[in-house]
Amino acid sequence: MTGTHAAADDALPVANGRKTAGEVWRLSRGHRLRLAVVAILGIVSTTVDLIPPVAIGFFIDRVRTGTAGLGTVLTVTAAMALSAALGAAGTAVTIVLATRAYHAILAALREELVARALTLPQHTVERAGTGDLISRSSDDVTAVADAAPAVIPVVTVTAFTIVVSLGGLAALEWPYAVALAVVLPVHVFAMRWYLRTGPRVYRAERAAMSARAQQIVESQRGHATVLGFGLGEQRHRTVMTASWAVAVQALRARTVQSMLNARLNLGECLSLTAVLVTGFVLIGHGASTVGGATTAMLLVLRLLGPVNQLMFVIDTLQSALASLNRMIGVTTIAVADTADEPPAPRDPAHAVRLEDVTFGYGTGPRVLEGITLDIPTGQRVAVVGASGAGKSTLASVIAGIHPPGTGTVARPASTVVITQEIHVFAGTLRDNLTLAAPDATDDQLRAALDTTGAAGLLDLLPDGLDAVIGVGGHPLTDAQAQQLALARLLLTDPDLAILDEATAEAGSTQSGLLDRAADAALAGRTGLVIAHRLTQAAACDRIVVMEHGRITESGTHSGLIAAGGVYAALWSAWEAGQGT
Amino acid sequence: MLWQATAEPPDVRPFEASAGDGPGRFVARVIFSRPRVTVPAMLLAIVWQVGESAVPVVMGVAIDRALATGDAGQLATWIGVLVALYVALTGAARLTNRLNARAIQLLQHRLRVTLSTGVLHPGDGLARAPDGGVVSVMTNDVARLANAGLLVVLPIARIAAIGFIGASLLVTHWPLGVVALLGAPVAVWSMGMLSGRLSRDTREYQDLLAGTVGRAADLVAGYRVIKGVRAEAEATRRYRQASRETLAGAERNAGLLGRFLMASGMVNGVFVAAVTGLAGWFTVKGQLSIGGLITTVGLIQALLPQMQAIASVSIPNLANSRASAARIRDALRGTGSTERATSTPEVSPVPVLDVSVPGASIRVKPGELVGVRADDRTAAHVADALLNPRAGNIIEVRLDERPAHELTSPQYRTLVTVAPHRVTLFSGTVRDNLAPSASTPELLEAAVKAAACEDFAADLDGPVGEGGNRLSGGQRQRVALARALSTGAPLLVLHDPTTAVDPVTEQRIAERLRGVRANRSTLLLTSSPALLGCCDRVVDLPAAS
Repeated sequence: MTGTHAAADDALPVANGRKTAGEVWRLSRGHRLRLAVVAILGIVSTTVDLIPPVAIGFFIDRVRTGTAGLGTVLTVTAAMALSAALGAAGTAVTIVLATRAYHAILAALREELVARALTLPQHTVERAGTGDLISRSSDDVTAVADAAPAVIPVVTVTAFTIVVSLGGLAALEWPYAVALAVVLPVHVFAMRWYLRTGPRVYRAERAAMSARAQQIVESQRGHATVLGFGLGEQRHRTVMTASWAVAVQALRARTVQSMLNARLNLGECLSLTAVLVTGFVLIGHGASTVGGATTAMLLVLRLLGPVNQLMFVIDTLQSALASLNRMIGVTTIAVADTADEPPAPRDPAHAVRLEDVTFGYGTGPRVLEGITLDIPTGQRVAVVGASGAGKSTLASVIAGIHPPGTGTVARPASTVVITQEIHVFAGTLRDNLTLAAPDATDDQLRAALDTTGAAGLLDLLPDGLDAVIGVGGHPLTDAQAQQLALARLLLTDPDLAILDEATAEAGSTQSGLLDRAADAALAGRTGLVIAHRLTQAAACDRIVVMEHGRITESGTHSGLIAAGGVYAALWSAWEAGQGT
Repeated sequence: MLWQATAEPPDVRPFEASAGDGPGRFVARVIFSRPRVTVPAMLLAIVWQVGESAVPVVMGVAIDRALATGDAGQLATWIGVLVALYVALTGAARLTNRLNARAIQLLQHRLRVTLSTGVLHPGDGLARAPDGGVVSVMTNDVARLANAGLLVVLPIARIAAIGFIGASLLVTHWPLGVVALLGAPVAVWSMGMLSGRLSRDTREYQDLLAGTVGRAADLVAGYRVIKGVRAEAEATRRYRQASRETLAGAERNAGLLGRFLMASGMVNGVFVAAVTGLAGWFTVKGQLSIGGLITTVGLIQALLPQMQAIASVSIPNLANSRASAARIRDALRGTGSTERATSTPEVSPVPVLDVSVPGASIRVKPGELVGVRADDRTAAHVADALLNPRAGNIIEVRLDERPAHELTSPQYRTLVTVAPHRVTLFSGTVRDNLAPSASTPELLEAAVKAAACEDFAADLDGPVGEGGNRLSGGQRQRVALARALSTGAPLLVLHDPTTAVDPVTEQRIAERLRGVRANRSTLLLTSSPALLGCCDRVVDLPAAS
């Protein structure tokens, strides 16, 4: 069965901080010079930014001593304007360089992530579920990219501003720095409290939001079901409960933010009081001037903005890091077991050979039991059986998705599987077809569509092969999507084709159409067909009936009918219905 | 009540969507729908913003009066003033934020109630089926419009703060105040000019990023398909190409950001330097005290951010909320009750169903299981007509000889249940999908058995996953069939219920269908011989023209 539940130990790994740091360092190769420039330039430009407060303090002392004139005013104004201009330029360049390095590293990482995601052994992904992998290659990438405008100024300019301003204060008016250090624990406590409380509350808010979106989507997609079963009232209540759950979480989150604000305000108030008291004492002892106190006050005011900023982006920083850990968790999965692929058969006359194969998912019960199957090259075999009989599992063991528990499997290297999963890739019709055969010409593509009976699609779509299909493009019916998959199979031209397509949404007429398409796609190659319709089975060279993981009947259509077993009973019921 | 949200959704009434409202009026109506919250929030926000701007003023005066004079009494007074100021502004900020947050959440909820009853779950099913856009309207647009609540509160407070700064400057030294108040808008305007190009490019870059992220999600979602045809290398190559284009976009965007930061930093710095220099000159001339100079420096630094916030946050917010209001109104257009039936006609508990299709008619007598064989399009038309008999269709549906559209919606739904061909499972467990519409627990068990769910019947409390993706196509279809059978509806319409089910299991279902539907009527649209084989009668419909 396909509905395997992902257990916790099957989940994809998440990297720890150390591994993430190591990987980011490795990916930063080629950008390290840039990063060194960022560090130096960041320190230089924030240091230049110290000039205006110092200039104002200097000016005030000159006024107080009566030594200021027009020249002083002009000098101070010019110094302020010049340093502001230089500081702005330096800061801008710092941020540009840092942003470019950040995005280049992220691009390299996301490319590695997708490449690794697609080359992971399929059973690893099947166990963990594709949902997690999709979320890591999309949501997490977005989270890290979106954090850039918040994170980059913080780790470059803001952090430097705090360090340099404190340093400047210590160098110019050191007693004020000491006074600030006394107040510092207030900020430290605020930050620790926020880190304990904030992320949890925000996670809950985001989770509630995605649950709400999910419920709305389900009501919209399931409109016909809601209507047909009269579920409107019930769905409305469900959606509204989800809507209010967001409100509850959002109010909690805003409360936490407003409590953080209050704590930061307390810190600000204490810092400014400390400046006043220190200034008062120092000036009283002649150890500082009014200008010095003003410089200190301006430096502290300039410090408070970045400190608040730092607090508010810490949450973004944390969730970006969590996303990074999840991405790197995938890119660092060791892929040693590419030797999973079943070997090619020794005798070219026998395309597929299974000898005494057993299989079970994890430690669960055996799904396949003593399967021995030999498919001569060119033969088409149908597998018939009830749900849970092991048909799809047999297909995936032959395909090499799952290694057999015991026994041996041999099949041609060039094998293509079409599963129940219907997926149209966002892009042009051509893109969808050339995925499997990048070098195919347009004529070959048209011929493949024609063979699978999908040539009508070209007339239906406004731009022919250039028509955009998939998410956001022209919608295809499931039957059309399945025809595309079969056309892709034709273009790949494998030795063995395994068809496990169910076409659940296709109507009855379309089923007949797909039967003919599959028939054309299988012509001239070895085929294994998991039959979802009896007509499909009847058209094959041989039919294998499975029950409880074992092969119970095997033979030609007429042979099995004559034998009078399970297949014969099915066929006669089918024929009876046909005649009504 | 004001602070803590109740766990249960509050009972709010939907907004009236009158056709004559322009988006601007709709925004205004939404904003002023809770004046008891908005007005106090606005007054408190003014205290908060003016308080923030007053901090440098108090510091300047304190340095001038206490530090420059060495007067301990003055020091104590001004520290007291500073602390009082912080207490006031912190308290006001806290109250404003909470009032705002609550107002915004209540507004959002009320807008969602409006859209849920009007668009997503219309009572009588006559309204058009909601398209995918409703999801974005109910999440993003609702949030943007509700944020309009903030539009009243914060910008007005900011304008008040600008007024305060202006007044303080004018009081300190009026020519200086005039220069600052005339110069600041010019500085902000020139920064706005610079930011226009940047924000356009940022949107472009965000689209690129969304495209690349979407491509990754798309490729990974098609993982099994890619593995099946061994297109890993080609898929990776394509993704890399998209990723590189996005990186180029990010680099270009960083460059524009740098230019903006450089230019706006320079404008800001030069403006502050110029006003400070002027204040310095007035100080040298003795027209301005040192305290006045310090205050001026503090005020001028507080002025620009306030103006920038209005230009770069409040104005775009207003434009966004108007656009969102327009989308919400469009979504609501044409909704509202369209109930036509005034009296409820008498029909029997299991009525006779007649469906007349051009060229043929189907009659299902009480307790009958009737198969209908038709081409896909005709079958879809019949199913649609039964799902929505009031939608005006060439196919007529009658119950006990009465046209179905004469019945009220709830009356029709209690008699007729239609299981659509396209399966939708809701997230939750298998049982969560069955229980809400099941008539009795016994019937639920019987339905699970009749739908041949043996392979997972033991685990009805297992989650089905998003859209049922933890189940195979065949399993999903059988859960949907069990859901339909468990309703025990007097009249049940099934449309191609076993297309994804293998022939062995399909045969089992055919054998069990009659038993679970005994004494109730069933109309089965299918061309599966196995299913048709178990019907009392089979009607062949002519192909649609």
